[in-house]
Amino acid sequence: MSAIVCNKIVKMYGEVQVVHNFNLDVAENEFVVFLGPSGCGKSTILRMIAGLEEISGGELVIGGTVCNDLPPGDRGIAMVFQNYALYPHMSVYDNVAFGLRRLKISEEEIKRRIADVAGTLGLNPYLQRKPTELSGGQQQRVAIARAMIKTPKVFLFDEPLSNLDAKLRNHMRIEIARLHQNLKTTTIYVTHDQHEAMTLADRIVLLKDGLIEQIGTPREIFERPRTKYVAGFIGTPPMNLMDMAVKDRDDHFEISGPSGMVTVSAHRFDLRGRDRVTLGVRPSHMSLSAPNEKGTGFNGNVELVEYLGNEVLVNLDCGGIEMGAMVPSNVAPQLQDRMTFSVQEEHLHMFDISTGQTLVKARA
Amino acid sequence: MKKFSLGNLLVQLFLGLVAISAVVPVLWTLINSFKYRVDIVTDTPKFFFTPTLDNYIYILGRESLVGGVVNSLTIVGTSVLVGALLGLPAAYALARYPMRWAKDIEFFVLSIRFLPPVAVAIPLMVIWLGMDMYDTRTSLIVTYTLLTLATTIWLSIPAFKAVPPEVEEAAFVDGYGPYAVFFKVALPIAIKSLVGALAFSFVLVWNEFLIALMLTTSDAKTLPIVASELSQLGRDVPWGILNASVILLSLPPMLMIGILSKFLNSALKKKRDQE
Repeated sequence: MSAIVCNKIVKMYGEVQVVHNFNLDVAENEFVVFLGPSGCGKSTILRMIAGLEEISGGELVIGGTVCNDLPPGDRGIAMVFQNYALYPHMSVYDNVAFGLRRLKISEEEIKRRIADVAGTLGLNPYLQRKPTELSGGQQQRVAIARAMIKTPKVFLFDEPLSNLDAKLRNHMRIEIARLHQNLKTTTIYVTHDQHEAMTLADRIVLLKDGLIEQIGTPREIFERPRTKYVAGFIGTPPMNLMDMAVKDRDDHFEISGPSGMVTVSAHRFDLRGRDRVTLGVRPSHMSLSAPNEKGTGFNGNVELVEYLGNEVLVNLDCGGIEMGAMVPSNVAPQLQDRMTFSVQEEHLHMFDISTGQTLVKARA
Repeated sequence: MKKFSLGNLLVQLFLGLVAISAVVPVLWTLINSFKYRVDIVTDTPKFFFTPTLDNYIYILGRESLVGGVVNSLTIVGTSVLVGALLGLPAAYALARYPMRWAKDIEFFVLSIRFLPPVAVAIPLMVIWLGMDMYDTRTSLIVTYTLLTLATTIWLSIPAFKAVPPEVEEAAFVDGYGPYAVFFKVALPIAIKSLVGALAFSFVLVWNEFLIALMLTTSDAKTLPIVASELSQLGRDVPWGILNASVILLSLPPMLMIGILSKFLNSALKKKRDQE
């Protein structure tokens, strides 16, 4: 049974529609990440699931119960907010106990459960402190403890790591991943950080302007982006995207532009009848090669070299088009070097030039 | 330590002068309240004199003053309390639940304070006379509640707006309803600013003179009215008694301000500790 079902959920602010027909089934124990730029509606959807925002249309089912009109407390959810949202006038202990006290659970039981959760999250030394006396990371841990203690059906995380510094963010991300491994509670996690999404998610829901661009495992989204937008959004450094001309050579297609030329076989992409496409290549899939007589590959002059340790990111000027390529750092490219790259056909992405939809044929 | 600079020194000097000009008259009043009349009406001010408690004994012995204290405490206390009971939830609702008329309601509440008391005092007098409630504590309580309510609402709205909405949302997720969120979350978080608002409305009606003058004659007279009557005792102005009554009258508001600044200090201290 699905833990959460969103059926054609709509959100209107007055006349403005910000979420359009949002459909999603979240399986039991699944970790789903809503990813997208700010203003894409991801937080609004999460807040509708939490019950903090009214649902303008459609149906929300959590654990088999229609929740559209249930108050947040009756939905079996717990939420962790971006700015922690701890009760500043209560000690850490009372913050965690607050939700349980409403359920008229005995103080003994509360004490036992808090000891349990505090042990898991390493909060024991801080239980009597006020939230303002804690660091950001500790505060977020208290917020997670407050969510865990209720043993909810669903965890909702709203950009929980955005307020932390980079190092702490990494640490807390791993902690959240470990927590999910142990508790297995169904989780929806909102972030604009693709790194968080890729590392944490069982499935990513990539949103743009209130519409789903793609739902899939991190691998699917990275390897088979369904739209040009997804291709450009996921992956650092970002995918090289350029408009190219298509020539039908019967048994294969020739895709060419100012930056270079590639040939693809007829069966992988739906190219028949098109004369222009958007071609996508990830910088890490550009492999250094010698210039060949057929003229395939991309040629460019080195404009900028960014040393990253094991690898070097080379920015190239390919006939007026900017491209990036990852090469092993022992290649040591120099400015103004002329370099040639080839790309394997399976690493090419192609999108409709106007709609941005992928041209990769659905697998039979 | 701050570095010494001329600008700094001048600012300190200026602030010192301002403080002196504010404090000296009050100190002079305090000193004079312990003097016999002969020591007050001298050509050269006297700093050394035989102190006396006669002035205080006199005014504290007057029935009208005791009545004034009781009246002031009941009337001001009740109107501040009712103002808080009605005003705090109203301010919270205006701050948290935006609706079409919120801005207009806020402005209406403030506009109550625009009217000069003199313009409302006479109509109010007629109303209370017509209701046969003139010169009663109840009539003054109701009238003052209009003042405390408007002040409390106006000053509490920003206090409630300063409570982070996510904290209240967290309480909703924790299963609490809107009333519990108000009492258990919003109110305790905003309490420091709210105490300031209440203290301010207390001081406002404690010192109120004109409306009390128009609405009372004997039974419901408040302290400012009683004190003002002391100056009409005879042909010679009883300076010592006047000074003593000023001091007594100033004590409750000063205590309130004291509480206020204590709260402000602890709030500021907390902020400093955070940084």
